[in-house]
Amino acid sequence: MLIASLHSAPAALAAFPLPALAEPSPFPLAEKLLLAALILVSAWLFWRRFGIVLRRILAARKDADFHLFPLTRRIWDFFWEVLCQAKVIRERPLPGLAHAFVFWSFLAFALVTTNHIATGFGFGFLDPAGFFGSIYFLLAAVFAIACAISIAGLFFRRFVVRPVWLAHKDNTLSPESGVIAGLIFLLMATYLGAYLVPAGSAAALVLWWMHTLTLLSFLPLVPHTKHLHLILSPATIFLSRGGFSRIPPLADDEDFGLVTGKDITQLTALQVYSCVECGRCTEHCPAANTGKELNPREIILGLRGYLNEYGPASEEPLLGRYNSQQAAFQCTTCGSCEFQCPVGIEHLPVIVGLRRGAVNTGEWDDEHGGKLFLALERSGNALGMAHSEREKFLAREELPAFDGSQEYCLWLGCMGGYDPKGREIIRSFVQVMRFLGTSYGVLRREKCTGDPARRLGNDLVFQQLAENNLENLAQNKVKKIISICPHCVRTIAEDWKAYGTPPEIEHHSEFLARHQARLPKQPTTGTTVFHDPCYLGRYRNVYDEPRSVIAASSTLVEAERSRERSFCCGAGGGLAFLGEEQGARVSETRVEQLISTGATTIGAACPFCNTMFRDALASRTDNAPQLLDIAQIAAAALPKTSQPNTLQENP
Amino acid sequence: MKIIVAIKQVPERDARIRIDSSGKWIALDDIEFRMNESDAYALEEALLLREAHGGEVIVLSAGPERVGQTIREALAKGADRGIHILSDSLASYDALGVARLMAAAIRDEAADLILTGLQSDDLGLGQTGVILAELLAIPHSSLILKIEKTDTGIRVLRELEDGWFQQIEMPTPALLTIQSGNTRLRYATLMGIKKAKTKELRSVEAASLGVDAVPSVTLDSVALPSRQKSTQMLTGSPAEAAAKLVEKLQQEVRVL
Amino acid sequence: MSTVLVFLEAKSDEPTRLSLEALAAGVRLAAETGSQLAAAMVGAASASGFAMLGGAAQIYAISHPLLARYTADGFTAAYAQLIAKLQPDFVLFPHSYEVRDFVPRLATRLTRVLLSDVIGFEVASGQVTADKVTFTRQLFQGKLNGHYRAASPAPVLASVQAGAFRADSPSATTATVETFTPELDAATIRTQPGEPFRAAAQTVDLGSAPLIVSVGRGIKDEANIAIVKELADALGAELAASRPICDAGWLPMERQVGSSGQTVAPKMYLAVGISGAIQHLVGMKASQCVIAINKDENAPIFEIADYGIVGDLFEVVPALTAAVRKAKG
Repeated sequence: MLIASLHSAPAALAAFPLPALAEPSPFPLAEKLLLAALILVSAWLFWRRFGIVLRRILAARKDADFHLFPLTRRIWDFFWEVLCQAKVIRERPLPGLAHAFVFWSFLAFALVTTNHIATGFGFGFLDPAGFFGSIYFLLAAVFAIACAISIAGLFFRRFVVRPVWLAHKDNTLSPESGVIAGLIFLLMATYLGAYLVPAGSAAALVLWWMHTLTLLSFLPLVPHTKHLHLILSPATIFLSRGGFSRIPPLADDEDFGLVTGKDITQLTALQVYSCVECGRCTEHCPAANTGKELNPREIILGLRGYLNEYGPASEEPLLGRYNSQQAAFQCTTCGSCEFQCPVGIEHLPVIVGLRRGAVNTGEWDDEHGGKLFLALERSGNALGMAHSEREKFLAREELPAFDGSQEYCLWLGCMGGYDPKGREIIRSFVQVMRFLGTSYGVLRREKCTGDPARRLGNDLVFQQLAENNLENLAQNKVKKIISICPHCVRTIAEDWKAYGTPPEIEHHSEFLARHQARLPKQPTTGTTVFHDPCYLGRYRNVYDEPRSVIAASSTLVEAERSRERSFCCGAGGGLAFLGEEQGARVSETRVEQLISTGATTIGAACPFCNTMFRDALASRTDNAPQLLDIAQIAAAALPKTSQPNTLQENP
Repeated sequence: MKIIVAIKQVPERDARIRIDSSGKWIALDDIEFRMNESDAYALEEALLLREAHGGEVIVLSAGPERVGQTIREALAKGADRGIHILSDSLASYDALGVARLMAAAIRDEAADLILTGLQSDDLGLGQTGVILAELLAIPHSSLILKIEKTDTGIRVLRELEDGWFQQIEMPTPALLTIQSGNTRLRYATLMGIKKAKTKELRSVEAASLGVDAVPSVTLDSVALPSRQKSTQMLTGSPAEAAAKLVEKLQQEVRVL
Repeated sequence: MSTVLVFLEAKSDEPTRLSLEALAAGVRLAAETGSQLAAAMVGAASASGFAMLGGAAQIYAISHPLLARYTADGFTAAYAQLIAKLQPDFVLFPHSYEVRDFVPRLATRLTRVLLSDVIGFEVASGQVTADKVTFTRQLFQGKLNGHYRAASPAPVLASVQAGAFRADSPSATTATVETFTPELDAATIRTQPGEPFRAAAQTVDLGSAPLIVSVGRGIKDEANIAIVKELADALGAELAASRPICDAGWLPMERQVGSSGQTVAPKMYLAVGISGAIQHLVGMKASQCVIAINKDENAPIFEIADYGIVGDLFEVVPALTAAVRKAKG
């Protein structure tokens, strides 16, 4: 359309002649042969490395659960994340935009470069003086200027500003990034230079050759460096598993997770070779930020190192030279890394996969982890508490048994059933439900959803718990579950699908937000900072609901890291049940961030976050903010006698 | 070293106790079963010994069909094979009768070591192992925390009262009953469960073992104890409350 | 006339408290079944401990050099010979670690089953035969009582649980002590017991400590730990703490009880100024008796405590220390 409309106005353009790109005079045969030879050498050097990478990826095990269709999601992801560079820009706006300009310039240069080489052979199809050619070259020139500025800026940032997350493990920067940046700059400069010299001049010839040689040097460098992502990451994003932190099913009886090279799948291998080492994953990782060994980028690069040394058919253990067991078990599964990754790497299936390999084979020997698994095996709850303790709580709080007639099955979870603080949250939430006249019941017997087992890679215990619970829920004819725990919600809604059809489930924040209008109005007091739980935010995309509950009675303030960029409390991935942490405690780091907002209250929406913060706040003596779950905040608005209020039924 | 581990399947520890209509036992319809805890430690010791010295670990258990599941669990944790004494009416045997069934089932195995847990979580008799030793005419020791192999047999660490311990040496074959909590139990793994499917599990009908079921003691009836645990708040001035607590420590907790 | 025979255990020639409780049970059983009471204990007849066995008509000092140190084989043979000689209807034992070790073997030799760890018995009125006495023992860790009866002729063997019978004031005896010398052959004793020893006291092993006094955030200041330490010392208990105390460095990490520290199961766990967060509860919930001292009557720790004192720990703890010291004399 654009071109068509331009065609209709040639007269106007003729009045303002556009600057024209200088092309060299036609080449003699010898020069053409030289060019052909150089292209062949460059292509050969490219393939010599790229062929190896491609063969390694293709030789890896097939992904058992891979389905190409439906294509809609894939096309959208490709459009949004690749073409629009949305993730790149959103998470780091300035460098992201710079990167996007380089990328878009490359797209614009696809035609320019093809024509450039064709010109060398005498087949140039874009006439610099012609109508379309002059405009297109000019457009490319605009991109070239943007690209040159951008790449210079990125170079400055990497080598002068030096953000820590760009550095390698040993605190060095990859020099090839500098070389590549130089080549890109040179490409753009030699292109733009051709506007300043006369066509057919010696200068035009020199510029042409400089541009060509830069290009032919650039090509072989791509597969040898992290710039391999130029070729691979569009495919990685298009072919991704989808979902968030989706843990693939085990393929067969011989599959125990990521044990050796043989367990690496094609998608994982593709992702591993796509890593551009930008360090966004590391920048947001709660483990890496608190002095632990785990660094999600190094996990991915570790697998790359493994594939480079041993290949995908190796029986060498994956946890060894390139990746450590300790690091794999320091992950809180908060998902920041996967969420941030601009090239489509799915870190959690890899990290959980490594854990599965270690746990399903019994290799992981950890005092607290073993205790947790035995508690889940023997008591059916993560805390190893006697089931009778839960029954006493049900009796004391007069929580009705679910009998199929009520609307909701209230899922207590381990924390709601056994933890004194979690019970307070249940108590408050029940007050709200009673006030609203919502019917609910509690299962007499409930087991852990298996979340900690799932995230720590214990497929046996997870399967037993999921199947047992699914059967129990089916027998009790449960249609809708409501839970105060984002971990329960996620595990039931997504992870249980591997073993059956779970009932519909929602988090209490969603329920509370929906019924907000029917709760009594309250004067606004104090300031509250809301901490987004990882499993509610990134995992379930629920950000506004808990905020609307808080905003009804308090002034909401935001922590620097909030919503999608929220920083973990340290409990996820089963870590709440493991021993002392290496380095600083994630919970204390997060509490510092929350306190620095000056809020008088920390609003939480997850009993695990709650218990972690409670501990972290306990060591503070100076006026620490109070810590409340959104259910407690909502219940505070209720009149003191919380009998079912029938008047409220008809607002 | 050939080691037999006698394990028992018992109702899970925090099962809700309700008395059945006969008044002689608890209602089992809503009960989940587990491997008896100290038996799990006995199994762990056996596996550690095999890992250190080689040999074979055989699990032995008696009871109805459902007991097979507990034997499979032991196989999944690493035992090499299982023997299941099948009986739907094991309660009609007393401890001596059960030990006789076990003795008959393993007499031909000629094991070097037989391990059991210290006592069961349900009946808590703490005797079956020791009786088995007498029936097989082999030495035994109970409340064992550690087992070492020596040139002539074994050296074990036995727990005595009040924080005292004792080393005991004895020849093999021998029987040991294992105290809970001294080692770290391994968790069941997916790989273990898959391997267990191919391991041998031999079933023997209890009736075919030629053991007389006439017991020397019988459990006539069961009853729920009248006292249920609840928090007793001790009130008064600090001195009064302290005096009340000291009295409790002397009379009821019995630690003074 | 039927006979009740009670076997006692001696430590440093004195009968243990548990043995005296078994003797008290024997006195009652003999009275209710109209039996005569015999008591037996390993040791030299001249030992002073035999003078404390009041209530027994016959007293036997089982004496043999091979019984100097306990072995299951030696004791089984010796006890079996005395039972064969006396032909008792009832044989009672204290439910000690030793009895648990060898009496099942002894019972098997008599083709009987020991009724272990009984907490009481009931004699059907007017009946004196062994099978008419119902013994009660605990099942499912005390959650259920089972009533047992002998189905075979005498003797009935039973061991008595600690604390089930009171033996507050042992009385002196006038009966003569008869020496019983069993026939024992050193070759039949297959085990070689070593000298008993105590685990080294320097290292903290909360996991096996029978008594624990644990301190939490309510203590407010490092200097105040001393008052809790004094209480622990008075009780002969190990000192432990909840996580915030160890985090603050007021006590070493090895004394931390809870999910990221030690898991303990003492006879008595006294929680001072601990509110009872779940991370702490999972580390100590297996304690047999939990005592809580806390200012806040709503503290979750009271939910699992057997005894609770609501009050200022700075007043209660010193008062308790003084009371404990007084009780210990």
